[in-house]
Amino acid sequence: MTTQAERATAPEVDQTVERKIQQLRELYADAPELGRVALENGLSDLERELAAATRADSAGRVGARQGRVSEFTLILPFADRGAARLRGLLQLLQGNFQLADRVGTVHDMRFVFLDNDTKLLFATAYDGEWDPYIEDFATKIPNALDLLLCNCKGFPGIRSPQVKDWLASHQIAAESWYVGSPDLTVAETRRLERVGHALDEFLDKISD
Amino acid sequence: MQLVDRLGGELPRGAVTVELDDIQATVLRYRPEPYYGTHVMLHVEDAQAGREFVQRLTPHIDSAAEWWQAGEAWISVAITYTGLVALGLPEDSLRSFPEAFRVGMAARADKLGDYGLNDPQNWEKPFGIGEIHIGVSVFSDSEQAWRDAMHTAQQQYEGFAGVTVLLTQDFGAQPGDLNPLGYRDSIGQPAIEGSGVDPLPGQGRPIRAGEFILGYPGEAGVPLPMPRPEVLGRNSTFVGLRKYQSRVGTFNRFLREHARSEQERELLAAKLVGRWRSGAPLTLAPTQDDAALGADPRRNNDFTYADDPHGHQVPLGSHMRRMNPRDTTMAQLADVNLHRIIRRSTTFGAPYDPDATSEHDDDVARGIHFIFISAKAMATMEFLQQEWINNGNFMDLGDERDPNIGLQEDGATFTIPEHPVRRRIHGIQTFNVLRGGEYFFMPSLSALRWIGSLRPPSGPR
Repeated sequence: MTTQAERATAPEVDQTVERKIQQLRELYADAPELGRVALENGLSDLERELAAATRADSAGRVGARQGRVSEFTLILPFADRGAARLRGLLQLLQGNFQLADRVGTVHDMRFVFLDNDTKLLFATAYDGEWDPYIEDFATKIPNALDLLLCNCKGFPGIRSPQVKDWLASHQIAAESWYVGSPDLTVAETRRLERVGHALDEFLDKISD
Repeated sequence: MQLVDRLGGELPRGAVTVELDDIQATVLRYRPEPYYGTHVMLHVEDAQAGREFVQRLTPHIDSAAEWWQAGEAWISVAITYTGLVALGLPEDSLRSFPEAFRVGMAARADKLGDYGLNDPQNWEKPFGIGEIHIGVSVFSDSEQAWRDAMHTAQQQYEGFAGVTVLLTQDFGAQPGDLNPLGYRDSIGQPAIEGSGVDPLPGQGRPIRAGEFILGYPGEAGVPLPMPRPEVLGRNSTFVGLRKYQSRVGTFNRFLREHARSEQERELLAAKLVGRWRSGAPLTLAPTQDDAALGADPRRNNDFTYADDPHGHQVPLGSHMRRMNPRDTTMAQLADVNLHRIIRRSTTFGAPYDPDATSEHDDDVARGIHFIFISAKAMATMEFLQQEWINNGNFMDLGDERDPNIGLQEDGATFTIPEHPVRRRIHGIQTFNVLRGGEYFFMPSLSALRWIGSLRPPSGPR
């Protein structure tokens, strides 16, 4: 894994920043007045961001990653009555996704119904890459995934050798991706929680 | 020695449901004990000559029939993607191979995490440049039988116009069959369903044959995608080869720096791998080596991690536990049975020297050809490299990497769980450096006959 520092191209920074600002001015030339004003007034902040090393990376075939955390965004057409079934299932689950707990790499998931219940927007933040694990999901938690995804048009089944291609074909890479704690995986976060509790307990004891 | 004899004659026979007489011997025969052999890398200059060579060689390639009691020397053959092209396989057939196989191991360096010391730019020739077309290997349990089999193999390619030898590497013949860092290796192979032998103690349940041999259902219940036509794919498989140079000086210095006595040094060496040098697992021999246990194939793999969930015996980050976590509760959901590989690795060069501590000792030709077989060898190796070797997240170890074959960054650590607090060793180095690698297709015997009898489509080529 290359570290972020290694990817920085420090020597050319000044020139690059100027060029980037020039590009922004051109892009915003036809923006509304308040946009053009905001660009000029905000230049000093922007310069710092434009000068920093890139934090972006790619995750697998499609999608963006920052540090250890990747984004995965799908827009899937619903199958007949798929929206109704999925809405019912999600309501009954009441936010309990034990399978996601077991997977151990899922930071969050959102299910958004678009265009009058004809499409599903599924977006998640997860650690690493998804496609090396598809076969593991297919043998470990096939029912949970089939139950969710059978509501989408053309889903070949999680055990199908075609499922990776099917997912990738509906995946849309985020244009940009930001992670507050890019180096913290779900496993690391859980470990730090445990360490934090243990430390507090220890400090409570010695301060009594 | 034959497997059945190594097990003291107590071989748990099971049903045969795979076509052993069409599968190459290397897929199922364990590496002999002791072992001698040679890898030969060949280049095909001319398609017709190449096919004739395959035709000549095929009758000398052993099948896996009765592999558990086969004690003879044997010859195996495997072909890279550029080799299949050079042999003139039809376009439709070439296109049916997986992408990672077609572009080759060097081109997948980003997926394999092969950068820095392991970067394909630093590999030895002729690895990674598409020149290696065919690999022929001889395995034997005696020096004489090895020489005889080598002679047979040589007769098929030497002085044969259109096929040239790029590289010949003898292997094995190591004192005690130890690997270049001084350990007994190749213990703990997967049990394969329908192969004729029931699981040996500790092997776990048999894994569906399709994970290792094309044409049979895999763990998900369906066969894996297979190259076309059927005669080419069925009973064939894929082989990955990674040549590592062992930095014995660096390894010995690391052990000395972090241990105060020879006893402590050997314990540290065992903690890195999960086994003592003899092969005895720390689960069964937690405080000192037990040579008799290490040498006994009925006992040296017969354990689970049920009583060692935190790694106080076998560290969670040790090589053995990473490569086969068995019943370890992992921080990430994974199906252990999907990531097993058959290993037929071979050690070459100078034997391990426990007193070698200089930088010069790192460069003494000595290392391992890590050879792994799987019906999805490319995907499995990328998974292992990314997730279980050059990563620690799945074992809740952050950025820690495999202490044996991991590529270590500056300041890398290795954690040894202990009571009351863990020991964390700083400054672990890369002990095995990648010097080359290739993916091969290991055709069934009928696939070899099909390749040998291919004729160019009408018209000049």
